[in-house]
Amino acid sequence: MLLFVVAILRYSYLFITTNVKFFSAAMLCGIACVVSMHGTAQVCTYVISGSVTDEQNHPIIGAVVLVEDAPALGSVTDTGGHFHISEACSGHTYVLCRADGFTTGRAHLHVTGNSTVHFTLHTNQLAEVVINDVRTPQELHTLSATSLKGLERFQAMGKSLGDALKDLPGLNAIQTGPNISKPVIHGLHSNRVLLMNNGVRQEGQQWGSEHAPEIDPFVANRITVVKGAASVRYGADAIGGVVLLDPDPLPATKQVSGGVSLIGQSNGRMGNAAATVQGKTGDKGIAWRVQGSTKKAGNFSTPNYLMKNTGVEELNMSAHAGYKRKRWEAEAYFSRFQSKNGIFEGAHAGNITDLLAAIGRSRPLTESVFSYDIARSYQATVHNLAKLSGIYHFANEGHLEAIAARQADLREEYDVSLPYTKDPTLLSKPQVSFQLITHSAELMYVQPSHNGFSGNVGIAGNTQGNVFRGIRYLIPNFRTYSGGAFVIERYQRGKFTYEAGARYDYRWQRVYQRNPNTLATYNTTLTFANPTATAGVIWKAAKRLSVSANVGSAWRAPSVNELYIHGVHFSDASYQDGDSTLKAERAWNMAATLHYHTARLRTTVDVYRNQIGNFIYETPQSQPVTLLSGTFPAFQFTQHHVTISGVDGSLQYDVVKHVTLQSRATIVRGYNNTTQQWLIYMPADRYENGVVFNLHQLGKLNEPYLSVENVTTLRQTRVPQNLDYAAPPAGYSIFNASIGFSMHVRKKKVQADITAANITNVAYRDYLDKMRYYTDNIGLNFIVKTRINF
Amino acid sequence: MNKSFAIIAISSFSLLWSACHKPEENVDIPDPDNEVITTVKLTAVNAADATDVVSAQWKDLTPNDGNPDLSAATLTMKKNAVYNVTLQFLDETKTPVGNITEEITDRANYHLICYAPSSGLGLTVQRTDKDNNTPQMELGLAAKFTTTAAADGSLQVALHHQPSGKNGTDCAIGTTDADVTFTVKVQ
Repeated sequence: MLLFVVAILRYSYLFITTNVKFFSAAMLCGIACVVSMHGTAQVCTYVISGSVTDEQNHPIIGAVVLVEDAPALGSVTDTGGHFHISEACSGHTYVLCRADGFTTGRAHLHVTGNSTVHFTLHTNQLAEVVINDVRTPQELHTLSATSLKGLERFQAMGKSLGDALKDLPGLNAIQTGPNISKPVIHGLHSNRVLLMNNGVRQEGQQWGSEHAPEIDPFVANRITVVKGAASVRYGADAIGGVVLLDPDPLPATKQVSGGVSLIGQSNGRMGNAAATVQGKTGDKGIAWRVQGSTKKAGNFSTPNYLMKNTGVEELNMSAHAGYKRKRWEAEAYFSRFQSKNGIFEGAHAGNITDLLAAIGRSRPLTESVFSYDIARSYQATVHNLAKLSGIYHFANEGHLEAIAARQADLREEYDVSLPYTKDPTLLSKPQVSFQLITHSAELMYVQPSHNGFSGNVGIAGNTQGNVFRGIRYLIPNFRTYSGGAFVIERYQRGKFTYEAGARYDYRWQRVYQRNPNTLATYNTTLTFANPTATAGVIWKAAKRLSVSANVGSAWRAPSVNELYIHGVHFSDASYQDGDSTLKAERAWNMAATLHYHTARLRTTVDVYRNQIGNFIYETPQSQPVTLLSGTFPAFQFTQHHVTISGVDGSLQYDVVKHVTLQSRATIVRGYNNTTQQWLIYMPADRYENGVVFNLHQLGKLNEPYLSVENVTTLRQTRVPQNLDYAAPPAGYSIFNASIGFSMHVRKKKVQADITAANITNVAYRDYLDKMRYYTDNIGLNFIVKTRINF
Repeated sequence: MNKSFAIIAISSFSLLWSACHKPEENVDIPDPDNEVITTVKLTAVNAADATDVVSAQWKDLTPNDGNPDLSAATLTMKKNAVYNVTLQFLDETKTPVGNITEEITDRANYHLICYAPSSGLGLTVQRTDKDNNTPQMELGLAAKFTTTAAADGSLQVALHHQPSGKNGTDCAIGTTDADVTFTVKVQ
């Protein structure tokens, strides 16, 4: 534990050497926060939910689930075996589960947020209770959050992170062809969305919309999306929101367990396999887990043609170990992500003439055959993460969490246009490569709940070095030090929970460049310092109705490409110029969420308005740039005031037994207040409607289901004038259908799902797909997913 | 216990140690073997009079800033004449000057040069050299310029990189590595 403190101090020392002002500010805040920590109280607004099944994984109906020290809090499982206890208090407690003909289950739970418990009850004596205690990782309770778990998580297996999340209300994906996608939250993406991979802020070259997240979705069994400005807890840049990826807790028992997942897909002839093995060296030993996954796909196909060079290869692994004593816990985690993504051949453009010619074609010039080969142009990325974390539990029920992590991100982009040289080593080199190494640390105290008060306080810091190498210049090298201190407090009384938080961040960046003529190295230093704040309230208006509202702020320092890019950006044949005088973006986000749950109806609606001052984007210049390789439209990074607002919601209604209707809608509006025009690249309105038929048992099959859904995306008509190469594509409507079940084969649980996506083989283009200029999206696709747990 | 502390200690120190290296301070110098096209040069020899040699060059020694030197980018030819033209791509940032034409010749099968005279200019252009594809296709480093009546106009010369799909005539395939426009005077 001490060593983590030493690590924090070492980071603090780095800050002292660079800026004394920051350190004193952090110290002051630290003292203030410690003072505010006294006056602790118990919060009783949490939800404990979960399910009860027998050994064959059949749901147990009518089981009674109780909180041991508050027996008034109870619930009876429904026909799906699910229970839902609201108004549970924070702290250590036991949850009991009783059902006729089964042994009683008793699970220890440390409630610090909404929690999930799964009971597996045994008909015989000597029962064993399998407990899955997952703390909700979201720490700003008044912000809207949505998560991908259970069956939805299983059905998302094999998809990239952006694709897996794009069906959630309020989310979209920005794509570059069929194999590269990134999540969009409330219209914002890339460096305005944070990814927290197992508690560590993911650091890669996020600025590029064609730079997909370097995360294997298989490592995260729970994916939670926090929608809105969440900078107070997660630091600068969280203007759109945060995606939290968390693995399951390490096993508590000695028994070795694990699982194998296999996925096959007809389109792209994709194969995807993942395996997990976990165990514990002894009752008081080290818990461990190793996990790996691999993926390979070839050329994907639209309804009318194959897209040449759109294959993908991935090879990922992770190892996790943890050791728990009465007072403290320590964990070590390592993960490696490695991928190679082909770039669709029909999209290569040397200058604007090529680009317009490619856009003008109704189908790619060169016909393709199926192949797994990935030729130039392609991207190769490797991301390694090493993390050490520790928790110390104080006698007062509070605890201290510390995390130290190192990430190394290497991205190499190989262009189809080879340099003019006879040197074979140069011919095999990438045109551009970026290496970003980040060291980060965080120390957080979670105060015990007392008299209605709860909260957390912490400090965080990181340092990054970016090394750019390339046959041509794109962005400079840099070193960044940043640090922040935050405090979040909650107070619960009656039907209301109030939440407020504040944070101060400091960022120092030195950019290293070489004069192109004299080749002399020079550097420029930039500093940014910004406070952020959040305040919110949850009102439990009635037993089935709750309303929450939040006002939050976030800021983002301009990224290095926005400041210093200079030259041709080949992926969109534009000549881009950065502006080294850009100021930080500042967002104020107002959001409200309504939850209404009855036995048959589950509804959630979000409304929000995000005002962003100094929003950085590219504006076209009146004069194009003439280079030897042709004429390029010129773009300059500038800042304007913009407003992004929207509404999204989801509804599930059990019409009759076994039949559930599902609807989701995502509506976003982005407007540039300075130029009085719509914002470019805002998601078009999307509506999803479906019906699910499910049974509890069909012969040997457990929980079989059949679902049919329609996804309708309208044409984006709210676009700025003269800012795009082609008009937004027409709206489209596609149908998907799935059947699935689980069963036991030799006491092993087997889960299976067969999906037909885009059943009617519609040729469509999506406004948020960068490849929409050149090609249709993928056509009919059959996907088979299986998972075997042992 | 002590062992796990030792492991954590060693890992922490190695994390911190590696944080102290600062490779970003060494900014990469441009690769000396990488050649950039700075100059496109046309040399025209009158087929009827070998002493009548005219040339023009489109030059930009700082290729990323959009300020080309067009002082010598005018080609002046006689009317009703035939010229044998050779085209050169040079890297004049190097000493001696890098000759990129050789690399284009080496990879002739994946390149095509397209000439587009402006309308009204009395000039027709025919490529005269071939690559090594089977069957052979046109390349365009050598061409025959035929002038008719006197007129002023322009000539666009574009070097297309066609790693797949080259057919020897279609200029829209592939990506454009050079695309420059000369002023042409036929008098």
